Amino acid sequence: MSEMLTISIDGKECTCKKGEYLYDVAKRNGIFIPTFCRSDAFEDHRACCRICIVEVEEGGRTKVVTSCVYPVERECSVQTRSEKIMEERSVVMALLVHRAPEAPSFKNMVGRMGATETDRLVTLDGEKCILCGLCVQACNALGTGAISTVNRGTEKKIDTPYGKGSDACVGCLSCANVCPTGAIEYSETDTTRTIWNRDFELVRCEECGQVMGTQNSVVFAAADEVVPTMCDSCRKKHLADEMMATYRYV
Amino acid sequence: MNSANTTATTDRILVCCGTGCIANGALEVAEAIEQQIAEQGSSATVQLKVCRTGCSGECEAGPVVRFMPRDLMYYRVRPKDAQAIVASLEGAPVEKLMHKVDGKAVEHMADNPFYALQHKIVLANVGVIDPLSLDEYRAAGGYEGLARALKMTPEQIIDEVDKSGLRGKGGAGFPTGRKWRTAAGYDVFPKYIVCNGDEGDPGAFMDGSTMEGCPHAVLEGMAIGALAIGAEEGILYIRDEYALARDHIQHAIDDAYAAGILGESVMGSGHRLDLSIVRGGGAFVCGESTALMASIEGRVGEPRAKYIRSVQRGLFDHPTVLNNVETLASIPAILRDGGSAYAQIGTDSSKGTKVFAMVGKVKHTGLVEVPMGTTLRTLVYDIGGGIIGDRPFKAIQTGGPSGGCIPESLLDLPVDFDTLTEYGAMMGSGGMIVMDDCSCMVEVARYYVDFLCEESCGKCTPCREGLRQMRSILTDICEGRGKPGDIELLERIGHTMEDASLCALGKTAPNPVLSTIRFFREEYEAHISNKECPAGVCAALTQFAIEADACTGCGMCTKACPAGAISGDRKEAHMIDPAKCIACGSCREACRFGAVLTTRRTA
Ligand SMILES: Cc1cc2nc3c(=O)[nH]c(=O)nc-3n(C[C@H](O)[C@H](O)[C@H](O)COP(=O)(O)O)c2cc1C
Ligand code: SF4
Ligand code: SF4
Ligand code: FES
Ligand code: FES
Repeated sequence: MSEMLTISIDGKECTCKKGEYLYDVAKRNGIFIPTFCRSDAFEDHRACCRICIVEVEEGGRTKVVTSCVYPVERECSVQTRSEKIMEERSVVMALLVHRAPEAPSFKNMVGRMGATETDRLVTLDGEKCILCGLCVQACNALGTGAISTVNRGTEKKIDTPYGKGSDACVGCLSCANVCPTGAIEYSETDTTRTIWNRDFELVRCEECGQVMGTQNSVVFAAADEVVPTMCDSCRKKHLADEMMATYRYV
Repeated sequence: MNSANTTATTDRILVCCGTGCIANGALEVAEAIEQQIAEQGSSATVQLKVCRTGCSGECEAGPVVRFMPRDLMYYRVRPKDAQAIVASLEGAPVEKLMHKVDGKAVEHMADNPFYALQHKIVLANVGVIDPLSLDEYRAAGGYEGLARALKMTPEQIIDEVDKSGLRGKGGAGFPTGRKWRTAAGYDVFPKYIVCNGDEGDPGAFMDGSTMEGCPHAVLEGMAIGALAIGAEEGILYIRDEYALARDHIQHAIDDAYAAGILGESVMGSGHRLDLSIVRGGGAFVCGESTALMASIEGRVGEPRAKYIRSVQRGLFDHPTVLNNVETLASIPAILRDGGSAYAQIGTDSSKGTKVFAMVGKVKHTGLVEVPMGTTLRTLVYDIGGGIIGDRPFKAIQTGGPSGGCIPESLLDLPVDFDTLTEYGAMMGSGGMIVMDDCSCMVEVARYYVDFLCEESCGKCTPCREGLRQMRSILTDICEGRGKPGDIELLERIGHTMEDASLCALGKTAPNPVLSTIRFFREEYEAHISNKECPAGVCAALTQFAIEADACTGCGMCTKACPAGAISGDRKEAHMIDPAKCIACGSCREACRFGAVLTTRRTA
């Protein structure tokens, strides 16, 4: 039995379990806090974008915390849009917009949330990646672990080891699909997909001809089971047909 | 406090073999002295032993050689001095190798003001005993603290540490007793004790010197901590470049195992303790506690959010106490002499002593250990001997790359954790860089920001992108492209970094910028509005010229100029060709007559 707590977020009373993350409590209560590097798909959060900051007053002391990983341990009063938070969030936003000027989804966010207006910040030309790390988390969650952050400081980026094609990569596109800014580039011909400096042979469904994935990803996903030759929907249809055939006379 | 009187009956010649002195040829000196002893032969009454010690502190005057028990100190010794040194053992001292105060040679260590105002606890045995000798450490009272701890309960040990008021010397100043108590309170095993020997601050060498000069003190501190919290395993995380420190620590670990101090039964108590070394990951950020633990676990040295503390879930998700080298090396004395003795030194809120590595434009650079609360003025002027060339003092930078700069008006501040933080600087691990009037504070801020741009892990937005933008704005200001509003923008970015960064590196990274804006704002304004660098450092804004009346025509500047821009006949006033001058300032450093002037660049 976990202990229940009542806290106040922007003046609204919210109940939560002790230890629950502040962001989750706010969301459940319909209070919007922006996030970039957090996804429900993963249990751990990198807490690196810092856009989800809020002000927490606890025992008479006020502090700025990142709500996506801040566990509520005692009663507190939370401000998600205080003057301080709006100012600092707009600075973080401005920093991100200038880092990734080519990230389209960001332009809309700026409209909605505001970013510090200034022509004094430098931009990274052509950059789309905001280094949220979701791609790395997705790849790790699969068990492939082909990409990671490399370098440090201002040179940090996402890459395969030594920037070379990685044996661990199966070309599944999980990273590209999870990426909020479309920063991971790949290309496809009829037979080949190219991603992370490596070419992968595409496999098509023997029934409908749809791309099922790369040879490596299909084998990887099958693990020790038989490698499928049909796409999911064709396989289901087949199964249904077989059932029909079997039970037709019952 | 003088631990030298615990030495054996034989006369000893202590040759400092710390990293600094080795670089200056100490090993050759030790060899030459040994050879001389063999040649001249010790007299029947005096047995001579050459003892290679750790750093004595005054590296810039090294190699340092000391005679015991006569307590004669020689500085800047060369191998060719060996004969005179050995001969002087029973005769007159060699004056030219001695420290001079007002022209008079100083015989004893204690009479040299560099040492006289110090109070050595952590460094008590450093530079005095042979770091590779367990016997010498024991003869100096070593492992008595551990022996006492073994007769106490964990609570009693922690009470003693609490009573001492000891606060972590790795930078944050967290009370060590409280940290231990929290870790002791968790019933999750195994627990770990980890020693932070990463020391990534450029210019700092106190932890390295402690590990080199008295490795057993660090091990003893860890063993006591392990008993207190109930750990049976400890790891020393040592900066990759510290080969000598690593060797000495390993040597000490091996000796301690052989002597039954480590292993299955610590000093026969039945408590198990295993210690081992892990080599550092090579980045400044790896000294941060969560990054350090990630690095030990073989992951990328990146910090994580710290809302759950390492004392609860640290290394391999188990309760872990991480302490700094100096913190741990303070523990043996606290257990041996009692916590209250330690608490008598220092200030109300910061007890005991602190080791600083003082470098920069100060006459005597080196390692110093002083009581907490000593003023910056005492450090710079009394111990450090003042500014080189008696130029005006401008600022002292404390706390490492993300520390702050303190101006002359605050020189009487007592140095302790809270005061430094209040003034926008910090204790950090104890680096101190003294700057004279030829330092541009905007350029200083740019230099540190540049360092941090490379050394931050780059995981979180405010730190990574904030530093990138600060670097670009500061570079603009230094190169004459500053714009009105830049100072305010730097402040906004800085405050956001302080609040929103993930780890303490990002939270403190704006210190160099914010503290220089706070205390030297007019210098920023001069760069931005007048396109002028008042200190004459920023090349794009500075023009050099020689004042004919002051120039003696000695030609030192001509020799120093890397661009060949200076001409002039001997004993005639020299001239700088502005077309060739690259504004590096070498001539100004070289001129002993103050004849090189800087003005605002007009061309
Ligand atoms: C960027 C960064 C670098 C650090 N580097 C060191 C270091 O080199 N040595 C050290 O002892 N502590 C360092 N620290 C402090 C440690 O995180 C930690 O607070 C300390 O080791 C705890 O020991 P103490 O309580 O004995 O001071 C660093 C902190 C940060 C944020
Ligand atoms: S590539 Fe996309 S998912 Fe990966 S870190 Fe960059 S923005 Fe995030
Ligand atoms: S503050 Fe800097 S060093 Fe710390 S996690 Fe963020 S990026 Fe890394
Ligand atoms: S969403 Fe919380 S730090 Fe990114
Ligand atoms: S190394 Fe010899 S005095 Fe520092």
